[in-house]
Amino acid sequence: MSIAVVDARGWQNTLDLKTGEKIETTGPVIDMVKGVLQRHPYPGDMDPGSNRWVSDTALDLIDRYGPRFVFLAYAAQYFSGRYTPMTKEARARMISDVFREAERFVSASGFAVIVVGTGDMTPLLGFINLTRLNGLAVCTHWSTRYAGLYEPSQDDMKVLGEHPHVERIIPREEVVGLFNGTPDQASRVPEYLILAREGYAFKTISDAMRMPVMIPSLNFDIPLHAPSHAVGAITGIRQALEKDLLEKNVALIAVEGVGLDEFLWPHLPCRNGMEWYYYEPGEAQYLTIVSGRHRFLDYPTGSGYKYFNGNEGTTRSYPFSGHFKSLPEGTFGSTFPGKSIAVGNKSMFMHMVAGADLSIECFARNLYNQGTMAVIHRQDKL
Amino acid sequence: MYTVSEGIIRERFPHRWSSCGSYVLESMPFYHVYPGSQCLAIGTTSCNFRCRYCSNAYIAKEDPEIQQGRLYHLTPRELVGMARKFNCRSIVFNVNEPAVSLPSLLDVAEEAKAAAIPMGCLTNGYTTVESTELLASIFSFFNVSLKGISDSFNRTYIGVESSSPVLRTIRRLAQDRHVEVTTPVVQGANDSEIDTIADLLAEIDPEIPWHVLRLLPEDEMKDAEYPNIQAIDAALQSARKKLPYIYFHNFISSQWVNTLCPDCGCTVIERFSLGCGGDQLKRLFCKDSQCPDCGRKINLMSEQACFKSTQRVLQ
Repeated sequence: MSIAVVDARGWQNTLDLKTGEKIETTGPVIDMVKGVLQRHPYPGDMDPGSNRWVSDTALDLIDRYGPRFVFLAYAAQYFSGRYTPMTKEARARMISDVFREAERFVSASGFAVIVVGTGDMTPLLGFINLTRLNGLAVCTHWSTRYAGLYEPSQDDMKVLGEHPHVERIIPREEVVGLFNGTPDQASRVPEYLILAREGYAFKTISDAMRMPVMIPSLNFDIPLHAPSHAVGAITGIRQALEKDLLEKNVALIAVEGVGLDEFLWPHLPCRNGMEWYYYEPGEAQYLTIVSGRHRFLDYPTGSGYKYFNGNEGTTRSYPFSGHFKSLPEGTFGSTFPGKSIAVGNKSMFMHMVAGADLSIECFARNLYNQGTMAVIHRQDKL
Repeated sequence: MYTVSEGIIRERFPHRWSSCGSYVLESMPFYHVYPGSQCLAIGTTSCNFRCRYCSNAYIAKEDPEIQQGRLYHLTPRELVGMARKFNCRSIVFNVNEPAVSLPSLLDVAEEAKAAAIPMGCLTNGYTTVESTELLASIFSFFNVSLKGISDSFNRTYIGVESSSPVLRTIRRLAQDRHVEVTTPVVQGANDSEIDTIADLLAEIDPEIPWHVLRLLPEDEMKDAEYPNIQAIDAALQSARKKLPYIYFHNFISSQWVNTLCPDCGCTVIERFSLGCGGDQLKRLFCKDSQCPDCGRKINLMSEQACFKSTQRVLQ
């Protein structure tokens, strides 16, 4: 059983991750994790200390658990950059701070690192309004490139086809065909996927109310710092990781909202998708990195498009795991025989995408800081 | 928000919506209305309160003029059409105070009534008698935020003189509308009023569901301590004897979000709490709004009751 320990600031609760039910259980790993959560309250997504929280929490876990593989995500600059107007100088300082934080972690932990930037950000130029179509357009507010379209009328297709900020409209068959999707996966893909041009985001129903100032760029390539490796595509990172782990302890670090233009360490460009598709920051990108194969169709909402099912049931598994309804297979941590941990301040998906023995992540929804959550997939390695 | 032009009060930005999305009713929160159903949640801008801990300050406190670029422009017909497209069983005004957008909401209500879609809202209840009647003509279910009782609390934290208008509104609405009440607990400021509020609600109607929220410090109180969950739970012990439907949430994995039968204590509705507007139905055991064990009537807003009340007012 995978166990979740929730820390809501001064109050902890232990749950069965799958059912969400409270459970009474103890053990050396659970006690250790509870202590780490207690010592490291999350300062908030846009707090200047947010990335430091990632390093400090990871270092604390490393001291107590002794992992060989660490997966970290630094995301404060992604949230701040997205919602806070700032000068070029201020942004450069913020990016520089992230890399300094990574350096601090490396120096304190002694781990070798592979660092991947999840992609550049670009100023928001405007919205493509999809709220007045005859059909139904859906989009997660974190996605800017992709929106799903259901039952469009001829007028809808004409309007969208002539829209100056819509790049392409791709039918389901082409989307599924690109990734050799199964019929089950195909059933979750919208009838059409609409692609926005750079700088534009879709306005659909259920958007977040906060107005972004920057959104992800068209990141067909992302930067990868992987000393002594030549990795051409995002699906090759896992292999580099496996090779390094044969010889040393390794930390895989995802730096959110930083792409080829701003990545400060030596790097090579790495293909971040296939043909017309690239991964926006999110679950599917992380899953692809750690599993070594494309996961675009596995987790619709985290892939940049949203699956609409108006009849979705109310009872579900993994209620504390964001959009996930099952444990993803093929994650790196789940197959790695050594000890592994993951720590991140992006969202509540590190524990699912990393598959690490122990994960700690912030529990913040739409920037509201509610505390932290640890997930224990394995207790038998301590 | 309103402006006066040639002696007439007019809405400044009619049919401009800060939010429009499909969510489960539990997340609003409404725990006793159509459990597990989707609603179309809408909001506008501005507020008639100035709470120091506002969770939506960038909507409620920011000048609506400068928000126009990001708002939805949707007619009442388009809103109702959207509710249908998303299989929403109701339309709920949340985010900010509905009393600041009454003309637009009256228009939406007319369209929603024609489509047989009931409307609900979150309100601070700080309204005149006349405005309360207008709200009652629009909405058939309410969650009224009773933020605190004492004048000093209301002056210091909310920016108003007294809670009396709010209590008057709750009394009025509870007569013929479904009412739930919410109180965010600010430790050291209004936690001492928990018993008083429970007494007041019990006197109005002991069947009123009461959502006691652990304050999530935001806005001017961003650096405040998070209230202590054990202390608030302990403070609720005596209140639980007065009101059978008390919920304590707004934090991850709260274990105080289930509905128990007031008579036999059996769990009749189970929920998950993801905190901060993320609550969900887990399991519904009631059948025909009755406890499956002892048959006791549970205060759940039913389809029939809703349409009856809406028709009475809007006809």
